[in-house]
Amino acid sequence: MTAATTVGAVRILGAAFFSTHHASAGDLLAGRERPLTLPSYGLLVGRARRFTSLVTQLHLEVCGALHGGAAAPPIAVFATCHGEIQTAAKLIADFHEASVVSSARFALSVHNTASGMYSVAVGSTAPTTTVTGGNAIAAGWLEASLTVLDTGQTVLLSIADEPVPAAFHGPAGLIGLAAGFLLGPESSTGRRVELAIAPDAAEPEVDAGQVLARGVSAWIGAAPATVTLGRIQVGAMLELRFAAEGVAA
Amino acid sequence: MTAGMTAGHVVTGAALANCLGTDSRTVFERAFAGEGPDGDAFSPASAFSEFPFPTQLGIMSGAAPSDEDVLDCAPTRLATIALASMRQLRPAVRGAVARWGARRVAYLFASSTGGIEATERWLAPDPRLPITGAGYRYADHGIDATGAAIARSLGIAGICMAISTACSSSFKALASALRLIDHGLADAAVVGSADSLCRTTIFGFHSLGLTAPTATRPFARDRCGITLGEGSACVLIERAVAATTRHGLARITGTGAASDAFHHTSPHPEGVGGQLCMRQALDRAGLRPSDIDCVSAHGTGTRLNDAAEAVAVTRVFERRVAMTATKSLTGHTLGTAGLTALVLAIESLRRQEIPATLRLAPPDDSLGVAVVGKRTPTRLRHVLVNAFGFGGSNASVVVSEPSASPS
Repeated sequence: MTAATTVGAVRILGAAFFSTHHASAGDLLAGRERPLTLPSYGLLVGRARRFTSLVTQLHLEVCGALHGGAAAPPIAVFATCHGEIQTAAKLIADFHEASVVSSARFALSVHNTASGMYSVAVGSTAPTTTVTGGNAIAAGWLEASLTVLDTGQTVLLSIADEPVPAAFHGPAGLIGLAAGFLLGPESSTGRRVELAIAPDAAEPEVDAGQVLARGVSAWIGAAPATVTLGRIQVGAMLELRFAAEGVAA
Repeated sequence: MTAGMTAGHVVTGAALANCLGTDSRTVFERAFAGEGPDGDAFSPASAFSEFPFPTQLGIMSGAAPSDEDVLDCAPTRLATIALASMRQLRPAVRGAVARWGARRVAYLFASSTGGIEATERWLAPDPRLPITGAGYRYADHGIDATGAAIARSLGIAGICMAISTACSSSFKALASALRLIDHGLADAAVVGSADSLCRTTIFGFHSLGLTAPTATRPFARDRCGITLGEGSACVLIERAVAATTRHGLARITGTGAASDAFHHTSPHPEGVGGQLCMRQALDRAGLRPSDIDCVSAHGTGTRLNDAAEAVAVTRVFERRVAMTATKSLTGHTLGTAGLTALVLAIESLRRQEIPATLRLAPPDDSLGVAVVGKRTPTRLRHVLVNAFGFGGSNASVVVSEPSASPS
């Protein structure tokens, strides 16, 4: 690949950010930490809260913040690198130690737990999907944007992850992070962003917190910005390209 | 769309592997054999591990890497199962890569449980389930590592994504693949899916009271639950041009997706999400309900799931359309279930016959649906396949004969 491929353009109608260790996207980028703060239960009520994992709470925190931004509950795309990793650890420990698992915990162990809870909480029969894996941020943006281009409708993109338990020998030092974006077609009102697949032979380390915070900060600001979301194919990264605010589409 | 292209997506390769066999030919022979020992491939759960309750499992045995398999991930149960079908697709993928270029072929991998079975071996040791390869790595837990390794093994360098929406995973991945082609980001896509048996899901489904103590009996009067299975399935989808339509196995003519918005594990009693996604798939295919010759049901064999799906099918089709439930043959392969049923539907279109729903007698007549209990030769042009999952995540796909058009 020698030149960037333009995927298309969408409008960001709203954005939300939550970090268990930072009060805002700006604070994360500036390295200003706060004491551990857990998300509220957002859209969850009653018994639904009891077995809800941190990653689902994070998803629903940003979904709740953006929920009022669309006329009707929108199609939703959820993205998570690690999924319900803490729930998976508890289930394995349960059957190993006691040959039994909690039905409520198992019910909420699938990667699409947050999307299911979201659709029930807001009473939405709109489709949802969940992308996962190391390139989940890029894949989530691609899936959500193509869905906007496909349907011409508003699409909610929610990206969240929780720390991986130490027993998994996975990446260390992760914190609870979530970012949500309400995306609309070019005809809607919001900050325009173009998605492009750009060649990149190197394998740059992608820090999820930095990527999510930069995306939210770029939306808040008016300056031109390029946010590299992560690898989407061999030798190519998906980028968000914000023009200076006010530049015509 | 450029000149010379026609609307639609052509299936130019399809393969599967599961408890019926490690190659498609064996699976098809047994799946279309009907009632009898050839069709019944389930084993007691004790053949996999120890469980303090009786249940049957669709265990896939006999899969082993071949000389051509150069996979740069651990030889986990998931990877071995995934490879069994993906390697069958290798010649077709070579053709697609030659036609479009490696960067224009995308890879979508779907799974519900991913590599959790490998993690279980590490965190909950069982002498019968030793750690394979060089030892446990966290990367083997994720869904994407196996998928990406297989993509590299197939020589694919296009967009690569992993999707996980429980039992609708493979159909959500299929819809994403079609979107990539429609928006010009790929000309072809391999949609692969694999799920291995693991203790988490066996204990988990049992905790919900959903595992059957004996072999599953979808739509039977005394059905009592799921038989969990494992397996993999994959399809190669290509943009419809003369070169691909010439040797197409089938066409994907419509997809639909919707949520139940009801409960995380129980279906809406009237299958609201199922109705919506079936109607959407029909609309996108440009077909009327009367054009569909067979519905390949999600059909898990639980009381509530089968009843809800029966209501949904009855509401959408307004007639007793022929139905089959292939989980009676393969077990419930979770995220792979949709694609497994789709590949069997493609074979149904080729053979012009519907596979039997095993152990149906006596059927649950109160459901009001026409489930096929015997292998049934019939004229098949369009088959609608359902995949419904936890989270009220529903998806339907219409697959059509290569030459079929809306009537």
